[in-house]
Amino acid sequence: MDKKILFSRMLKSKFFMVGAVLVLLIVLLSVFSPFIVQFDPVTNSLKDRLISPEYFASGLSGHVFGTDDLGRDIFSRLLLGSRYSLFIAAAVVLVAAFIGTILGAVSGYFGGVTDMIIMRLCDIMMAIPNLVLAIAVMAILGPNIFNLIIVLIVTSWVQYCKVTRNNVMVVKNAEFVKASQVLGAKKTHIMFRQIFPNVTTQLIILISQQFGWTILTEASLSFLSLGVQPPTPSWGNMIADGRNYLITNPWMVFAPGIALMITVLAFNFLGDGLRDVLDPKKI
Amino acid sequence: MENTIQQPLIQVQGLKEYFKIPGKGMLHAVDDVSFDVYEGETLGLVGESGCGKSTVGNVIMRLLQQTEGKLFLQGEDVFSADKEQQKEFCKKMQIIFQDPYSSLNPRKTIRSILSEAYIVQKICPKNEIEKRIQKLCETVGIAKELLDYYPHELDGGTRQVVGIARSLSLNPKFIVCDEPVSSLDVSVQAKIINLLMDLQKKFDLTFLFISHDLSVVRHISNRIAVMYLGQIVEIAETDMIFENCHHPYTIALLSAIPKVDVNDKTERIILEGDVPSPINPKPGCRFAQRCWMAREDCKTQDPTLQEIAPGHKVACHYAAVSRKEAKTAKTTILSSL
Repeated sequence: MDKKILFSRMLKSKFFMVGAVLVLLIVLLSVFSPFIVQFDPVTNSLKDRLISPEYFASGLSGHVFGTDDLGRDIFSRLLLGSRYSLFIAAAVVLVAAFIGTILGAVSGYFGGVTDMIIMRLCDIMMAIPNLVLAIAVMAILGPNIFNLIIVLIVTSWVQYCKVTRNNVMVVKNAEFVKASQVLGAKKTHIMFRQIFPNVTTQLIILISQQFGWTILTEASLSFLSLGVQPPTPSWGNMIADGRNYLITNPWMVFAPGIALMITVLAFNFLGDGLRDVLDPKKI
Repeated sequence: MENTIQQPLIQVQGLKEYFKIPGKGMLHAVDDVSFDVYEGETLGLVGESGCGKSTVGNVIMRLLQQTEGKLFLQGEDVFSADKEQQKEFCKKMQIIFQDPYSSLNPRKTIRSILSEAYIVQKICPKNEIEKRIQKLCETVGIAKELLDYYPHELDGGTRQVVGIARSLSLNPKFIVCDEPVSSLDVSVQAKIINLLMDLQKKFDLTFLFISHDLSVVRHISNRIAVMYLGQIVEIAETDMIFENCHHPYTIALLSAIPKVDVNDKTERIILEGDVPSPINPKPGCRFAQRCWMAREDCKTQDPTLQEIAPGHKVACHYAAVSRKEAKTAKTTILSSL
């Protein structure tokens, strides 16, 4: 698609614009968070315990979203926590997409026994509930960020594999693939130069949606204290910390909860928007 | 065509293409087909849908693995060639596909579609590719502005021209035209047919023209082969087929061409029954179930292609009497054939 047309289609799609602006904002905030935060997110300061956000309204402290039970600034923790969330999500999604796409493409293009082996492997992975597997593996390997990334990759590559395989199988029977074959093209040329450009649209959409899913799963694991370990802030363990104060000091849960919701929503919007933008038949 | 001693460019010998249908048996898509295509001629391959004519084209281009049979291009065995030789054969044989919508990669510009052959075959240095594409466009008549377009921005006719340009990019000698006009509307069909005929003259091309449209085939072909259920039932020069065909199936097929003349009271021969299944076909003539002159031995003995006149072969036990019987059976049909 022409760049100009692509750009005008982007502007037309509301989903895409909302998603893109939010995602951009979140990414910028988290990248530049060290310059924004004014409080140490890790050190306890018990005299500032549980300051509520409205305290800020009267202009007495700098705690925009209040403080938690150990007196740490929630806004600072939120921003620095987002760095971990986004980094983990990016690492997981990119690696899983890479592995899944290659396996899916090979499976779809070559078919036969190769296809059967890879697909049965996918079936096995899909039969195990993702979160349960993640919990089990983290309990065995021990919770740290590296293991967390590995676990999330293991549970999410199947999606990319299935999507790529199905698309490749549809495209590989098209006559332009035969034309390429007749011109004397090698299999690698046909696969990467001819077929692959036709499956990237679905992949891009899937990647942006999986981003949201990964952030959510990472938060779930951190909530269960199997992900990012305290005192390192993460949205999941911030919610876990605030659980006991839900009635009296709800902002401890609300702040990371709402941040999580907006982020996941933003990536889902981006995914839906991309589907509209990249589908020539829409709009 | 008759005056010169003709060289067969393509020789197809005993070609068979069977597909295994799990639980049902073997589907005989192409069953023992042999024919020659002479240099510079157009051989039309006609038949109803599902008779295996496109399969023949695909097997010749090695898009399908043949079950049995041989193919010679200028005397060289194509099917037993190794990878390097196959790549060489690609330069000599090309194909034009039926559907101009699925035959062009929707993610590539016309320029990149046309450059593919040169990139894959490495027949010229990279800086020359653009020049070659420009020349190609001139030959087939694609405006140069269209090179940066994507296929979906072009109409069906132009897309098919791009397909033709691509098939010409390696300067082949032989081109399989697999129903190149059947998905286009009539005004565009004529344009494409004329383009093909011009190109044939200009580059001395040889065509195998696969089609179910008899009037198109009549216009472009020097010779015609008629297929029924995976077998060639009659092969002869075009005029011979249209004026003096002998196989009952050909007679019935030709009677189905719509006529413009209102005074022409030609009756169509309506064939009774269905086309028998190509899965595990019964012995005997494949057409026997629907033939008005089928006798006992038609149902047991396979007819083979017999030469009944120079260059005119028919696969029918009763080729000699078929025209007469057709006349008595269906009275008036033949007068206008």
